[in-house]
Amino acid sequence: MSATTGIRPTKGFLMEMKRRIGFIEKGTEFLKLKRDHLAKELTSSIDVLKGRRSKLLEELQVAYRGVTAAYISLGPTEVRSQASALKSSLEIEVLPRSTMGVRYPFIKVDKEPQIAGELDITLSEAAEKVLGILNVIIQLAEFESRAERIADELGKTNRKVNALENTIIPSYRGIIKFIEDKLDEESLEELVRMKLIGGALARRRG
Amino acid sequence: MSPGLSYVVIKSHSLMADLLTPEQMRALAQQETLELFVEQLAGTSYGRISTETDGDVSLALEKVFYQKFIERMMGIVDLAPTNIGDFLQSYYYLRFEAINLKRIVRGKFSGLPTSKIIDFLIPITPYRVESYEKIAGAETLHDAVRQLEGTQYEPLVSSLELSEKYDALWPVEIALNYLSARGIFKSLERLPQSDRGLVRRIVQAEADVENFLVAAKQRGARENAHSPEEMFPTTYDISLDMLREAMETDDLRAVIQGLNPPYNEILTPLYEGDVALIRSRLRQHVYDIARRGRAANDFGFNVVMAYLVFSEIEKNDLVGIAWGKTQGIAAEDMLKYLTIPNYP
Repeated sequence: MSATTGIRPTKGFLMEMKRRIGFIEKGTEFLKLKRDHLAKELTSSIDVLKGRRSKLLEELQVAYRGVTAAYISLGPTEVRSQASALKSSLEIEVLPRSTMGVRYPFIKVDKEPQIAGELDITLSEAAEKVLGILNVIIQLAEFESRAERIADELGKTNRKVNALENTIIPSYRGIIKFIEDKLDEESLEELVRMKLIGGALARRRG
Repeated sequence: MSPGLSYVVIKSHSLMADLLTPEQMRALAQQETLELFVEQLAGTSYGRISTETDGDVSLALEKVFYQKFIERMMGIVDLAPTNIGDFLQSYYYLRFEAINLKRIVRGKFSGLPTSKIIDFLIPITPYRVESYEKIAGAETLHDAVRQLEGTQYEPLVSSLELSEKYDALWPVEIALNYLSARGIFKSLERLPQSDRGLVRRIVQAEADVENFLVAAKQRGARENAHSPEEMFPTTYDISLDMLREAMETDDLRAVIQGLNPPYNEILTPLYEGDVALIRSRLRQHVYDIARRGRAANDFGFNVVMAYLVFSEIEKNDLVGIAWGKTQGIAAEDMLKYLTIPNYP
């Protein structure tokens, strides 16, 4: 089936096609802007992620050393028994947020565990270290998810821009050219016909 | 009938040969895996222990090491003269029972299932209470503590009021510590005057360091701080004033440096940010007290006590190593928190 199947080579259709291609080209420009912005966001996110990850790993090592020390000092049963005495646990809520139309999860901490009262000082020091980095872990998870979704969206936007630039717009241009050629041809035929009719009428009068 | 003190002292001397040396303990800590640790342990007086369990291996191993220690302790109690046997049984059972009761009240406080609470208990037969299962099976914390009426833990019932006031467990735990220490001091009366010093020094050093740690922990929470009199019903070498100063100071280093030896040395890691090291140093101090006590009287009660103190510290170190092996912790990360491998 030809690309021009179903195309009406009329001036009205040509104007509609030109309006459409104008709209598509404007959309493509916007998508290119979005693509550039997302690419910029992603690059800066990756830099931040690298820094945050290595900082988190260092903090995790410190926290894990604290937990290890508490376990060796108190014994695993005592640690678990004390930890079980904590009434309140971490409560979070996952809410949606959006950047450039990219939705990503935002984690809101509703309630942090209260570790002050019931734990032995060794364990409470370790728990404070873990609790301290818990927020960093949550933020990092949120940031990683954001970067992942930006990367996904960037890929999609890039594919859309490519499809528009390489397939849709050229095909529309082809259609417009086809219609314009057809209309030129028709107007030429019309001119010839008019000339022939004009000639015939002149001959009849003469 | 007891074969007499001489026999139990000689027996203790001989049993000390079964205890693990610092080199053996280091070698155990340096094993790559839990399987190799168990293999290495099989070559000691512990023999081959089973690691097969439905639950957590480290908890199962902790129970095994507790059982081994209790066996050793009861072996001595059976051989010792009545007064010494009664004292030793009271000393260890009161301490372990206090730990079990704390674990029960914690479980009740947070609403843990009874089976989970029972899993956390040290495997001993109840000493001053009828049944741990019965207390753990109570509906509420209030009911559980009420079941202690008529026992030596009856004063715990009055600590419930403070516990409810602060919605916290520390009043019950502190009351339990106090009752346990009082019980131990009372049981000391069974020993001849000359034999009491060693136990008194150990109990006092432990209580002083624990008091100071509790005081240091209160520093950050000055607005909600509880009165020192409420928190520290019993103090020894570290006085109530010193504890109050520790609770109020901005410079803990100065307070610790102002303490008498050995507390200033034991508590140094507190301002260096490694609190767990304090307990390791405390155990080393207790180890040292027992060693000196034994050296001062190599043919008396001190030898028996030293054997049990060394055994208990060995148990603590083995529990730590076994947990570390189940978690794949490197030996160098564990060794500084152990006592025996660091003992000179």
